[in-house]
Amino acid sequence: MERQTINKNKRVFSAEPTKLSPSEVFTRKYTSHLVPALKKLNMDKNSPQINQLTVKHEVDMALALSAQEFAWSRFLLEKLSSSNNPTTTISSSSNGTRIPERSCKEDEDGEIEEKLRELQKLLPGGEEMNVEEMLIEIGNYIKCLELQTSALKSIVQDTT
Amino acid sequence: MMMMMNGEATEEAELFLNCTDMSVLERQRAHLNYHHHPGFFSNSSTVNGGEIDGFLASAGLDLPGIYGDTTVYSDARLSVSPGNVTTESGNFKKRKFDCVDTETKVCNEKKKMMINREVAVDEEEEEKSKITEQSSKSIMKMKNKTKKEQNSFSNDSSKVTKDSLRTDYIHVRARRGQATDSHSIAERARREKISERMKFLQDLVPGCDKITGKAGMLDEIINYVQSLQRQVEFLSMKLATVSPRLDFNIDDIFAKEVVSAPMTNLPNTVMPPHMMVNSGYPHDMVNSGYVHFNPMQQVVTSSDPLSCFNNGQSATMWDSDVQNLYSSLGV
Repeated sequence: MERQTINKNKRVFSAEPTKLSPSEVFTRKYTSHLVPALKKLNMDKNSPQINQLTVKHEVDMALALSAQEFAWSRFLLEKLSSSNNPTTTISSSSNGTRIPERSCKEDEDGEIEEKLRELQKLLPGGEEMNVEEMLIEIGNYIKCLELQTSALKSIVQDTT
Repeated sequence: MMMMMNGEATEEAELFLNCTDMSVLERQRAHLNYHHHPGFFSNSSTVNGGEIDGFLASAGLDLPGIYGDTTVYSDARLSVSPGNVTTESGNFKKRKFDCVDTETKVCNEKKKMMINREVAVDEEEEEKSKITEQSSKSIMKMKNKTKKEQNSFSNDSSKVTKDSLRTDYIHVRARRGQATDSHSIAERARREKISERMKFLQDLVPGCDKITGKAGMLDEIINYVQSLQRQVEFLSMKLATVSPRLDFNIDDIFAKEVVSAPMTNLPNTVMPPHMMVNSGYPHDMVNSGYVHFNPMQQVVTSSDPLSCFNNGQSATMWDSDVQNLYSSLGV
């Protein structure tokens, strides 16, 4: 019966599938991963406050699951599933300070290499990639982070 | 000159060969004519039209055929499908090989470049899988800058036997006055690639277009990534505090996020798939099936996610079942 209803409802939809942009696909995947997870968290623990770290864990997990076509998501997934205690590795770099100017470095290339290494640290799994690969992945990572923040914003807005 | 390129009688080529006043270049050109393959030349202008012109202008020589070959050579290898690449480069290499036989003596410098280039090829072989069209363009620029175009023939031909089976690798030419050893060349190629990648990132990171210089841009990128990560952390913190009293109405979430998220080119469709989730339909079905739903266009105009269903246009598409479903959600 349910399947019939489903099929029936399918027919309601437009005949030709619309092409979704990758951003949209990601956002949908992300929210559909995160929201049920949060719901489940809600339901599981009725009395105790939801641990902030657990939420962060879910947030990161949803990110990793929604972007599985990228290399960094695999690294992120590994990191998340291996650690029982949700790590705050992503937040460890959030010290609020900008990268200081290395005016003392004479060799410009050395400075650039230094910065590239910094960037590698930011990207999950960045240190295991070579630089060219890392730069490509960083582009994807930035895009997904942007989408993630907007999704989170809307979720938060919705619930306040 | 172009006329000659297009396959005039070989007698003229012979004449050129015999003429002692000819420069090395003209003799090589003659050989090209001798072994002319019309197909190749006709391709050259289309593959690389603009750059050939610029290239020639900077070289100050009226040698469209030869330099056309050179430029197309690298482009063909880098950007064209494997099938095309093999044939074109194959033709090209054959021609070059024949040129070597009758080449006049070259200077020591050129010979050194030849040897170094051979070494460089092995190193660059490993990078060939990462070659992009952008890289080839940067190499084109490098070629424009050098005044050692004459080397191309001697150098390429020496590699024919080695590389005749390889279909793609970077053909890097050293710039004038720069080191020509294989390490520097490989290093330079790598740096070119990095620069290309960074240009792409420049578009992605807001506010980066005003900054010039790799270091500054990298700074910006790092700061941007850090700020994004911090934002995510902050939002998840907020979510943690807020979530207990959540209803998690997915309809609203989808609607609002669809409004705020940066999306483009969304066609005008109606039914939000998320409705299925709340109704207890299997989750994966919702995810996979309804990519053809996109309430974006209608939702954008109003904050009320349900208003799109009041649209006359949308109402007509609805089954009564669906409407019942919707009402069951408490709308």
